[in-house]
Amino acid sequence: MSDMLSISREEILDGRWERILNFFRSRSLWMLYYCTGCGAIELPPSMTSRFDLERFGIGPMATPRQSDILLITGYISLKTLKRVVRTYEQMPEPKWVVGFGSCPINGGIYWDSYATVNHLEKYIPVDVSIAGCMPRPQAVIDGLQKLMRLIQRGEAVGYKKYQLNNQWYKTNQREVLERTEPVLAPASSARAEKRARRAEAAGALVGEPAGGAS
Amino acid sequence: MSIAELADRVARENPGCRVSERYGNQLELKSPVRQWVTTLSQLKTAGFEHLSNLACVDWIDQDELELLANLWSHARRVHVTVKTRVPREAPAVPTVHALWPQAGVYEREIHEFFGVDFPGNPELEPMFLHNWKDLPPLRKDFDTREYSRRAYGFLEEEQE
Repeated sequence: MSDMLSISREEILDGRWERILNFFRSRSLWMLYYCTGCGAIELPPSMTSRFDLERFGIGPMATPRQSDILLITGYISLKTLKRVVRTYEQMPEPKWVVGFGSCPINGGIYWDSYATVNHLEKYIPVDVSIAGCMPRPQAVIDGLQKLMRLIQRGEAVGYKKYQLNNQWYKTNQREVLERTEPVLAPASSARAEKRARRAEAAGALVGEPAGGAS
Repeated sequence: MSIAELADRVARENPGCRVSERYGNQLELKSPVRQWVTTLSQLKTAGFEHLSNLACVDWIDQDELELLANLWSHARRVHVTVKTRVPREAPAVPTVHALWPQAGVYEREIHEFFGVDFPGNPELEPMFLHNWKDLPPLRKDFDTREYSRRAYGFLEEEQE
């Protein structure tokens, strides 16, 4: 047994062992899906007999501590972002994030909502984004196969980015989660401005006929 | 009892309220805010025992917030909407959570999203929003697009 698993120092240094590990990693992926939005509805058809994700070695997992992929299936609200970050940090490395649908990419149809975070990649690194609203199971399989290719080539390095740029990610997270100042102008001044505008408009209405007559 | 008779009776029992009929089995009551609790408790004893929901509408042009309570009578099969209006500046409506316990949750939500105060309601802490510092977000003068742009940002080419 020890003979089978022994590897030399040279093999580790030139990355051959890493390549072997990546080959096996890409063929046994456990995914945790954080079903924040409607995207979850496309996963049962992807996993069941017609499209059958299991044939690529991808299966569902119950807890973050045992899974490899975090699927964000839908929009991220501010409250969910907190949980997503916690879930992501609980996962052991190597770990990958798949943004599912258009909402994690740019907010999707909720892009101008006060509660929806627009760009997920500002808060946690996203390895593969699957565009679509919603992506069909073919697109899901295409995206996950792309992730498998990236893992095998050693190019899916989101978790390393999270380590290296941790400060940047943490700053972004804190900026939205631990806000101390109002984002827009204070209420009183906005209201006063509005009232001034309305008074001005009313004045213009009253003044107009007189101006027209003269 | 026909709907017209019921409307008469409700109007008689709630002086100060304007009663009007809508669509067959619906009544509408416009109540001044100081009669809000007495009107609702009077309707509850009159058989409208089910509070379907409590909602709020921001009439920004009239500078008023409107509170609506939808009541339903299982026995009469009649729906009553009770409305009251408060100024947008420092709005306050007395709580009705003693009449219907579920009203407390609706009031908590209206407090969070419209900034209406409900004196007497013991729990008005935020329920949905995370660490909110701005105007209540469902007020009409809250610019949600500008908020989203400043708080979360979007790419330049996505701007309209």
